[in-house]
Order: sequence, then C-alpha cells, then structure tokens
Amino acid sequence: MMSRKLKANMLSIALSLLTTIILTSILLLAIGKNPLMVYSMLISEVFGTGYGLGQAIFKATPLIICGCGLALCFQASLFNIGAEGQLNAGAFAMSIAAYTFDDYLGFGVLPFAIICGFIVSALWGLIPAFLKIKRGISEVITTIMMNFIALALVNYFLIDFIAVKSTVRTEKILDSVFIPKLSDFFGSFQGSSANLTFVFAILLAVFLYYMLYKTRFGYEIRAVGLNPTASKYLGIKTNKIIMWSFLLGAGITSLVGINFIFGYKGYYEFGFSNNLGFTSIAVTLLAKNNPIGIIFTAFLFGVLDYGGLAVNTIVPKEIMLVFQALVILSILAIDKIVKIYYLKED
Amino acid sequence: MIESILSLTFLAQVLRMFTPYYLGASAANFSERGGVINIAIEGFMIISAFGYAFFTLTFGNPFLSVFMTLILATAFSFLYALLTIKLKINQIVTGVGFNLLMAGTAKFLMMFVYQSSSNTPAIQPIPGISLLNSIPVIGKAAGDYIIIFAFVLIFLSQFILFRTRFGLRLRSVGENPEAAETLGIKVRLYKLYGVLICGVLSSLGGMWLASNQSSFSDGMIAGRGYIAIAAMIIGKWKPVNIFFACLMFAFFEGLEITLQISGSFLPTQIVQMLPYVITILVLIGFIGKTSPPAADGVPY
Repeated sequence: MMSRKLKANMLSIALSLLTTIILTSILLLAIGKNPLMVYSMLISEVFGTGYGLGQAIFKATPLIICGCGLALCFQASLFNIGAEGQLNAGAFAMSIAAYTFDDYLGFGVLPFAIICGFIVSALWGLIPAFLKIKRGISEVITTIMMNFIALALVNYFLIDFIAVKSTVRTEKILDSVFIPKLSDFFGSFQGSSANLTFVFAILLAVFLYYMLYKTRFGYEIRAVGLNPTASKYLGIKTNKIIMWSFLLGAGITSLVGINFIFGYKGYYEFGFSNNLGFTSIAVTLLAKNNPIGIIFTAFLFGVLDYGGLAVNTIVPKEIMLVFQALVILSILAIDKIVKIYYLKED
Repeated sequence: MIESILSLTFLAQVLRMFTPYYLGASAANFSERGGVINIAIEGFMIISAFGYAFFTLTFGNPFLSVFMTLILATAFSFLYALLTIKLKINQIVTGVGFNLLMAGTAKFLMMFVYQSSSNTPAIQPIPGISLLNSIPVIGKAAGDYIIIFAFVLIFLSQFILFRTRFGLRLRSVGENPEAAETLGIKVRLYKLYGVLICGVLSSLGGMWLASNQSSFSDGMIAGRGYIAIAAMIIGKWKPVNIFFACLMFAFFEGLEITLQISGSFLPTQIVQMLPYVITILVLIGFIGKTSPPAADGVPY
C-alpha cells in the first residue's frame, strides 16, 4: 500500500510539471513565441555554464531554508502564511547584530547573529501560535495580518533609526566575516553569488528530515498534523507541539538572512525577500512537505528564477512567475484527481 | 493639521478610499457567507486593474472595458470554484496560488505589451456622472458610477443576504451545508454563486483603483485585498458593520496621505499597520465576539 502511495506521489508530481509546461507553452504560443526555443535557451544558459548553475543554486538556497521552516509548520497542519514577515523581522535583527558586533567577535559574530535572528523570528511566530491555542483563532488570518505588521515595523525602525543615509539598508558587515563563495572551492562557479550557505541549507534539510521521520518529536508533529483529536488520546500534548512547530518553523525562516547578509550583500535591505515567504509555500507544497523533496523543488524554482533572467532577451522574465504559480495550482489539482481516481480515496 | 482633516478635500479622499475597501470586503463576505474562504481578493483586484487598463488602451471604450474585465474576473472565479468547490482543495492554499498567478500574469503581460515593469501608459478613467460632478469638491472627486455603486451596495447586500430567498439559502449553505442539502438546496451551486459574486465585486474594486490612478502600476493594490478581508472580519460578516470598518480604514488611509503631505507626529508606517493590529485585537475578542459562518472554509 505504501508503495502505491509513493507511486501516486511521483505520478502527481510528474503530471503537474507536464501540465505546467503545456500551459506555459500555450501562453508562449499565444504571444507568438516558440516555447521550444525558450526552454532550450533556458536549459543551455543554466546548465551550460558554471555561472548559470551557480546563480540557480544561489536562488535556490533561501527557498530550501524557508521551505524547511514552512514544512515543519505544514506537517503539523499549521498554515503559516506569515513567513514573509517572520523572515524579514529575523533577517533585520540578524544584520543589526552582525554589523554591531563584527569588530569584537570576529567569525564568532556568525553564530551570534544567527541566534539573534532566530530568536526574533521565533518570537514573532509564537504570537499566532499563542492566539491559536489560547483563543482558538485561525493562524491563517493572524499570520497574514502579521506579515503587514512586521514589514511596517521593520520599515519604521529601518528608515527612522538605522538605515544608512538615503538608502533602505543597514550598515555593511566587515569583509573578513563574509562566508566563502562556492567559486573559492570550484573555480567553474566563477562570478556567481552561490556560497557555503547552500551546503548549510542542504544539511538543514537532511537534519529536518531525520527529525520529522526518525524521532519521537517528529512523529508527534506529524500525528498532530494528521489528526489532532486522536493525538490527544495518544497522550500527545497538542498545544505544546503547536508552540514548538511555530517557534522552530518561524525561527528557521530567519536563516535565509545568512545567504543574503553573510554570503552576498553584507547588509539587510528592505524588500530583499521579494515574496520569498510566498514562493516558499509553493516550493514546500510541491515537495509535499518533505524536507529532502524541498531541496529538489527549491532547485527547480532556482533554475526558473535565474532561467527567467537568461531568457529575458526573447520573452519577459516575468513568465517564470506565471510558471511557478501554475506549478502550485496544478500540483493541488492533480494531486486531488490522482487521489480520487488512482488511490480511490475521498 | 486639524484643518487639513476637517476639510472637504479630506472627506472626498476618504469617500474615494472607501470604495475599493467596501467592494473587496463585500466580495469576501458573499463568498464566506456561502462557506468559501477567498484570500485571493488581492489577486482579483490586481488582474482586474490590469485588465481594465489593457482593455481601455486596446478598445478605448471605458464601459466596454469594464464589461470585458468582468468576464475575465468571472473566468478566474470559475477556475477558483472548480478547484475549491468541485475538487475540494484547501481554500487557503488555492488562494495563495491564485494570488501568485494573477499578480504574475499582470506583471508578465505589462512587460510584454507595454515593455515596462512599473506602469502602463495613461488610461481613460471610468466617466463621472455629470449631474453629481457639478457639486463642488465632493461631487467632482467622488461622483463616478463605481463609487455610487459601492454606497448602494451597503443596502443592496444587506437586502440580498437577509431579505431574499437567495440570501437565506446562501447563508444556510455557509452555516450548515448538510441541513441545507436535506432541504433540497443545491449546496455547491450556491457556493459557486457566492464565489462568482465575489469575483465580480472585487474586480470592480480593482478597476476603480486603476481608473482612479489613470494607469495600472506594479504594486498599486498594495495589500488592499487583505485589508478588505480584515474589514469583513471586523465587520463580523454583516454589511452595515463592514461599512463602518471600511470607513475607518479609509479614514486611516486618508490620514496617512494627509500626514505624509503635512508632516506629523505619527510615523506613516504606524498608521499603515493599524488596520491589521485592530483586526487581531478584534479577533482576540477585545471588541465584542466574532462569529464567522459555521461551515466557513470547510469543503462540501
């Protein structure tokens, strides 16, 4: 039975990718472009050059991290739509800690700043968890509202107190505390921004996979996600699980700051996330909330992200936004259809 | 500062800002009264704002453009209904997907058709009503068909929801679909009606914003679709209460604009986040008890 379910999963992922490619091709044909030309250019630009591949990896890195945080919440059936706010609050705090203490701590500033960012995001994520437990308020509405509140607060503190004059960014950290680029180890990535955060992201995904599927804590999270009432009878403290899933899940989203601050620009900049918190929802759902799967779906989205820039000369790069949205909608629809007609559920 | 708030210009500003909020909030309300949560109001507004700009630039006739945009929004509504009602897919996740799809499509088409990532060329606004426009200040600023419709909608939606057979059936489907079914009501058909009305109303809100700015620009909806949902929650799913919630948010937005111009003691970001903070406070129960339709968000 298990293998049939796995087959069904593979089937629905493959079919939804196919559907998306077909729908996007129709759109391209409708505006008079040759889809085959677009796809072949995308593939040769991304996979044909070390730089292209490196850029795809660089774009995939934050998606893996944020996706892992969301997977933790989604596995517990908590619809955390608030990653955008959580990660901005955390990354902002991370950057302040980083530029303030980089003189004193040297490389030690990296773990210190990570902890600061993590705590801020985690606390921000605790609010909807708390409201859900104490007042029974749906986390969907609170997390959406808190996105706007977080962005407004960050913007306020940034613009009014912290930003470097006439910019929307914080001070830059010292060059000596940057994380090494992948091109320092593999020369062929020369010029791309991909850095060691990518390796960290993969380790994080593996760790989360282990935690979710091989530990008691992970089992409890999934049990609460599948059936909160039954979990209670099994002696699982549902409220505690909701708290921890939100706390850790939101905390993890802040780690996207490592890639941007320590690996790329050296500062927090307003708008750096560019809807990352929402795109990650698509990445996570496509991987069916499985952290290992997220590595692959995030890479796919990274390829599309950079690939959009690469094909921009023949078709606007925004086509990839449409492609990404179509992926999420087709996986939702086809998953259900496969469930009804192949697994005979529902 | 007090003078600038008490002025007629400010009042006109508030009436104008009220329009997209109330259209969006009523849209959300019709959908949720039928038990379908639609957080894609934002996306419907974006695609409709772009649609109106595109159609007026192509055909040059505002009324034809409104009509075409409504068809476009209805097509998206049918798709949303197919996924959430027919296939019973989670409504929140579908809504997130729709928001990405509609925002992405608008961005893509703007770039493709007008080679701009920021805005379309200037467009013809929806014409004003000449009789009203002769009233000084207020009439000139707030006298077009959609604004008037938004105000009529307060009474119209109250009437439809609570005084007609259609409204009673729609509400029963959102409260207790099983019971409605046993009474012979076609549950899914009524859910579909709710979603279609939602699409049309939010579409009008988006079109009005494009018309008011005389172009479509990236990011112009700026979270108004979400504020509309917030207003619906604060208004406790009741048309008249929603009116006051929207009026309050419109007042805040007008205030924000006025403060930006005249300089102030309150930072604009703090004013910006007020609607969301108030919504959470209402949900917590500081401002009376909220009771959404009992089967809100539950697929049937």
